[in-house]
Amino acid sequence: MTIGIIEIGPFQLILALVFILAAGGASLYHGLKLEKDLLVGTIRTFAQLFLLGYVLKFVFRLDSVWLVLAVFLFMIVFAVRIIRSRIKEKQVSFFWPMLISMTISYALVAFLITGVVIGANPWWKPQYFIPLAGMLIGNSMNAVAISLDRLLGELKKRRQEVEMMLCLGADYREASKDMVKNAMRAGMIPSINSMMAVGVVFIPGMMTGQILAGADPLIAIRYQILVMVMLVGSTTILSFLGVRIVCRRCFGPAQQLLLRPERKRGRKTKMAKGTQP
Amino acid sequence: MNNDNIIDFRSVTFGFPEQVTLFHELSLSIRKGSFYLVKGPSGAGKTTFLRLINRLEEPISGEIRFRDKPFDSYSPPVLRRSLLHIQQTPTVMDGSVAENLLLPFSFKNNSHLTQPGQEKLEALLREVHLKDVGMNDHAMNLSVGQIQRLCLVRGLLLSPEVLLLDEPTSALDRESAQAVMALIERLNVESGLTILIVTHRTYGQGRIKPRYLRIEEGRIEESS
Repeated sequence: MTIGIIEIGPFQLILALVFILAAGGASLYHGLKLEKDLLVGTIRTFAQLFLLGYVLKFVFRLDSVWLVLAVFLFMIVFAVRIIRSRIKEKQVSFFWPMLISMTISYALVAFLITGVVIGANPWWKPQYFIPLAGMLIGNSMNAVAISLDRLLGELKKRRQEVEMMLCLGADYREASKDMVKNAMRAGMIPSINSMMAVGVVFIPGMMTGQILAGADPLIAIRYQILVMVMLVGSTTILSFLGVRIVCRRCFGPAQQLLLRPERKRGRKTKMAKGTQP
Repeated sequence: MNNDNIIDFRSVTFGFPEQVTLFHELSLSIRKGSFYLVKGPSGAGKTTFLRLINRLEEPISGEIRFRDKPFDSYSPPVLRRSLLHIQQTPTVMDGSVAENLLLPFSFKNNSHLTQPGQEKLEALLREVHLKDVGMNDHAMNLSVGQIQRLCLVRGLLLSPEVLLLDEPTSALDRESAQAVMALIERLNVESGLTILIVTHRTYGQGRIKPRYLRIEEGRIEESS
């Protein structure tokens, strides 16, 4: 069953800006000083999405595997950059290992979904591969950022405990086991939670998009189930790989913890009792 | 290298990132079976000196040797177990006293070590005036002074060759501090354990004549 989609014209788009004007008005009224950010955000939304639309049209028309893979890699590079910028801790560098592990795991999951489960022919068919890979990267990027932020924060906060174990003959894996576990859980919980709430609390964007485009809701839900399962898979793989790779980089060649507490002038902190794990 | 030396610093330079160099071209030897008191003003690098021996810090240049072999020839966990450092901040895990004492035996590098029995654990706890502490007591409910002694006992169970103690009696009353020092002295005399203690306390009339390492302005001077 297909229904013709209602096209949104330039006038309708401009009309929708009334919401931005309302938000700007509220910002001015309450002195939030968000007017500039709202303006830049609106311009960027228009510019980036129009650009994406033209790029996708171009990629779909050329139908080249190399171009599809280039777009895929471009998205991953930006995802790693965003993850890096979201993490407050800057003492450990992990751009390249994360880029490699993300490329491998996303490629694996995206191939399994488009080539094996959906059975797209060829497996890189841009109409399937790019949107699915985009959802995969966009969603699991948040999970990785949460995991890594948690890992680095805990390693720093629980430095005494880690070093105590190292001093007693633990290797770095044993000394950081608890922190790695917590970081992986923190990254995986949001995607598991959304599996619990999907269809009851919210209707996901992809499904909404397909229904709006005229797809049968029963077809749309199957795609959505695939996406949800794919997200759990990719966040698991990435949390596992990312956390382990970054954890190793937090320790030096002698397995000494490299993360140092920030030194503040005139203030010395001391632990008065045993650390809370 | 003299066979009497257990640790050798050879032109070791160390500094924290973006800070002035703490030690410059430091060379010194730690004699096997000796009892050292490490002294110096706050911030002089006493704790860092112990951490360098334990490889929790790595020199920028130079070399540190253990039993006449470079540090790199030992696996870090094995080296750390031999050159045991007990931190200034005593740290225990969320668990019972027994679980904390036996924690090191759960690590794979220590799996070949024989786990001590209850009697040995209790005897050691008694020796550091912890006879009232039960094996099933929750370690995090102990006082700082009790945790400090628990951490010392836990370290000793690994039979290290060198014991690096950072202010081991800072949170103890006079009587408990004497008991801890008596235990350390006994291990030095009877087992030949090499001891380095960072302390601000004055060393009393013990049965050992200690050697002193004074750290000041990036230099370490040894005296007896």
